[in-house]
Amino acid sequence: MSRWGMAIDLDRCTGCGSCMAACHQENNLTAVGPSEAALDRVFHWLRVLPEVSEAHAEVTVTYTPQLCVQCDKPPCVRVCPVHATYLSDEGIVAQIYARCIGCRYCMAACPYNAKVFNWYEPQWPGQLQAKANPDVSLRYKGVVEKCTFCHHRVLKAREDAALAGRGLRDGDVSTACEDSCPAKAIVFGDLDDPASRVSRLARSPRASRHHEDLGTEPKVYHLARKE
Amino acid sequence: MSSQPPSRPPGSRRIYLLQVVSVVAIWAFVLGISGWILHLLRLSHQLHDVPSASIGISIVAIPVFLTGASVLTYVFVGLRRGRDAGGEEQR
Amino acid sequence: MSADKHEFVDGDLLRSIEQSGVGFRVATTVLGLTVLTAWVLFSRQILEGLGVTGLNQPVAWGFYIVNFVFFIGISHAGTLISAILRLSQAEWRRPITRMAEVITVVVLAIGAFHPVLDLGRPERALNIFTAGRLQSPLLWDVSSISAYFMASTVYLYIPMIPDIAILRDRGVRPRWLYSFLAWGWQGTPRQQAVLGRAVNIMMVLVIPIAVSVHTVISYIFAMTLQPGWHSTIFGPYFVVGAIFSGIAALLMVMIVLRRIFRLERYLKQIHFDYLSRLLLIMALLWFYFTFSEYLTAFFGHEPAEMRVFYYKVSGPYAPFFWGMVVCNFLVPVLILAFRRTRTIPGIFVASLTVVVGMWLERLNIVVPSLANPRSGLPTGYYLPSVVEWGMFAGGIATFILGFVLFARFFPLISLWEIQEGRELSVAETAARLETYLPDPPAAAPAEEASP
Repeated sequence: MSRWGMAIDLDRCTGCGSCMAACHQENNLTAVGPSEAALDRVFHWLRVLPEVSEAHAEVTVTYTPQLCVQCDKPPCVRVCPVHATYLSDEGIVAQIYARCIGCRYCMAACPYNAKVFNWYEPQWPGQLQAKANPDVSLRYKGVVEKCTFCHHRVLKAREDAALAGRGLRDGDVSTACEDSCPAKAIVFGDLDDPASRVSRLARSPRASRHHEDLGTEPKVYHLARKE
Repeated sequence: MSSQPPSRPPGSRRIYLLQVVSVVAIWAFVLGISGWILHLLRLSHQLHDVPSASIGISIVAIPVFLTGASVLTYVFVGLRRGRDAGGEEQR
Repeated sequence: MSADKHEFVDGDLLRSIEQSGVGFRVATTVLGLTVLTAWVLFSRQILEGLGVTGLNQPVAWGFYIVNFVFFIGISHAGTLISAILRLSQAEWRRPITRMAEVITVVVLAIGAFHPVLDLGRPERALNIFTAGRLQSPLLWDVSSISAYFMASTVYLYIPMIPDIAILRDRGVRPRWLYSFLAWGWQGTPRQQAVLGRAVNIMMVLVIPIAVSVHTVISYIFAMTLQPGWHSTIFGPYFVVGAIFSGIAALLMVMIVLRRIFRLERYLKQIHFDYLSRLLLIMALLWFYFTFSEYLTAFFGHEPAEMRVFYYKVSGPYAPFFWGMVVCNFLVPVLILAFRRTRTIPGIFVASLTVVVGMWLERLNIVVPSLANPRSGLPTGYYLPSVVEWGMFAGGIATFILGFVLFARFFPLISLWEIQEGRELSVAETAARLETYLPDPPAAAPAEEASP
C-alpha cells in the first residue's frame, strides 16, 4: 500500500503559475471569470500564493504553491456530517460529490483553505467543455471539491504497471502540476518507500510542513529557500 | 352549570379516533428517531468513527425522546381515566 | 364550575380569539407576503446556486449561520425561563410563561431551518438520515435541536389543555379543533393531578436539554481548530448569550403584546421590573464572559488569534464589535441599573439593543474567524446580498406571523394558571413563607431534647 505525498522545493519555484493552469486543465476545474473572482470566489485546487517582503529598500516577492496537504488526521473529515469527505487507504483525502450536501463545514474547519465550493453551476466557456479530461468527473453546483493528488493518474499508472506485470515504481505516477513545472520544483511519490525521491526530500533538513503544530499530519512538504 | 350543557359535538367519535391517531403518530415519530440514531450508531461503527461521541449522543437522546412521548401518553390516558365517572351533564 | 369564573373575570383574554377583526387579516396578509417573498428568494437560490449570496472563499459561512445561532439563542427565552421560574415557584411567572414558551417553539422552528438554507444542495439534506455521522458536531445539533423542539412543544401544549377546554366549552370555533386538542379535560381533581405531574416532569427535562442545545451549537465552532473559535469557554458563553437575548426578546414581545391586546391588567410594572433585573444580571454575566474570552486571546498573543482579534477590535469589524459592546453592556446596564429609567419604554429600548447586540455578537463570532485564515490567504470580506437580507426579513416575519396565528387561536396568557394564582397561591405562598421563618424560641429546646 502506498502513502502518497508531495515535496515542493520553494527554492526552485519561480512562481510562473503553470502548475495552476495544468491543474485546471487536468481536473476540469470551472472557469469562474473575473466578476466572480472579484468577489473572492477564485477557483483553484492549487494556488501560488505570492508573498511580498521589504528589507533594506529591496522588495522581494516569493511564491508558495499551496494545495490540499492531504492530512493524515484531516480536520475536514472529522466534521463532515454525511461522510462525503474521507481519508482513503492510500492517504488521499477524497470528496464524494454525489453525497456532499454543501454545508461547507469542511471549508470552515480546514486550516489550509484547501477546499473550494461551486457557488454556481460550473462553466467551461468556449472549447473548454469539449476538451474536458475524460478521466475526471465533472462537478455541479452546490458541492465542495478539492485536490485529489491526481488520483486518476494513480489508478492509470497502477493499471499500466499491472499490464506490464510489475509493481508501481517511483516516478510511475506524476501529478499534473509536477509534469508542468518547468523548474522541477514539485515531486510526487510514495512516502512509505524510503528510497523514493519524495521520501528523501521529506527527510531533508529544509523540509517542513505547514501548520505542523496543529497535529494534522500533512503529507505535503515544503522545502525552505536557501538564503 | 346554568347554561345549556354543550351538546355532544357531532363528530366526537371521530375526534377521539383522531386523538388516538395523533398519539400513535407521536410514538411513530419518537421510535423513528430512536431507530434513526441506532442506525447512525451502527454506521459510525462501520466507518470506524469516534465511538464515544456516537454512544454518548444515543444514550442521552433516545431516553429524552421516549420520555417526551411517555409523558404525552400518560397525560392522554390520565385525562381520559380522570373524567367524571358518570359523565354527568358534561360529555 | 370554575370555567364560569374564567368567563366572568378573564374574558378579555379571549377577545382576540372570539372576535378576530380586520387587524388580524391585515397582519396575516402583510406577514404572509413577506414570508412568501423569502420563499421566492430561496427558490431563486436553489435554482441558481449559493452564488446569489455574498459568501466567498475564505468566508464560507455568513448570514444563514449567524441567524441560525441567533434565532436558536432567542428560543432560549422561553422554555428555559419558564421552566426555571416554575421550578423556583416564582409566583409572578403566571402571566409570562405561555408567551415565553410560544417564542421558543416558533423561533426554534425558524432557527432549525436555517442550516437548510445554507446548504448548497438542500434536496440532499435527507442524506443526514441515511448517511449521517454522529461524530460530526452538526449531527449533535440535529439531535439536540429536535429533542428540544419536541420537549418544548410538549411543554407548551400540556399546560394549555385546560385553557383549550375552556374554549371548547364556550363553543368557540373551530369547535372540532378545540375538542380535539382538549383531550377530554373536565378539571376533575384526578385530571389536575395528572397534568401537574406531567408539567413537573417536562419542566425538569427541558432545562438540561435547553442548555445542551446552545452548548452544542457553540461546539460547531469550538470543535474546529480555527483561531477565535477553538475555545473551551464557548459552551457556557453561548448559553449565557442565548438566555440573555432570550430574556430581551421575551420582554419585547411582552411589551408589544401588552399594547396590542390591552393586557395591562395582567402584565404589570412588577413583572417587567423583575424580568429586567434578570436581564441586567445577564448583561453583567455576558460582559464577564466576553472579557474572559478576549483577554485570553489577547494575552496569549498567538499570531493567528491576534489577526482575528485586531480584525474585530480595530479592523473592519470594529464598528460591529464596539457596537456589540455598547448594545449588550453599556446601554442595558445604564438603563436598567437605575429605577428612574427602568420604566417600560426604557426596558423596551434596553431589550431592543440587547437583541441587536446579540445578533452582532453572532456576526462577530462567525465572520472574522473565517475572514482571517491561517493559511496565508489574503484577509477576506463579506457583504451579505439582497437574498440574505430578504431571508432574514422572512425569518422575522415568520416569527411575528407565528405569534399572530397563535394569538388568533389560543390565549396568550394562561387562564387557569392566573386563576390558580388567585384562588390558591396567596394562601400557599403565605404558608410557605411561614416555613422560611425561624421557629419560635419556646419550641426550640423541646425539639433539641426529644431526639
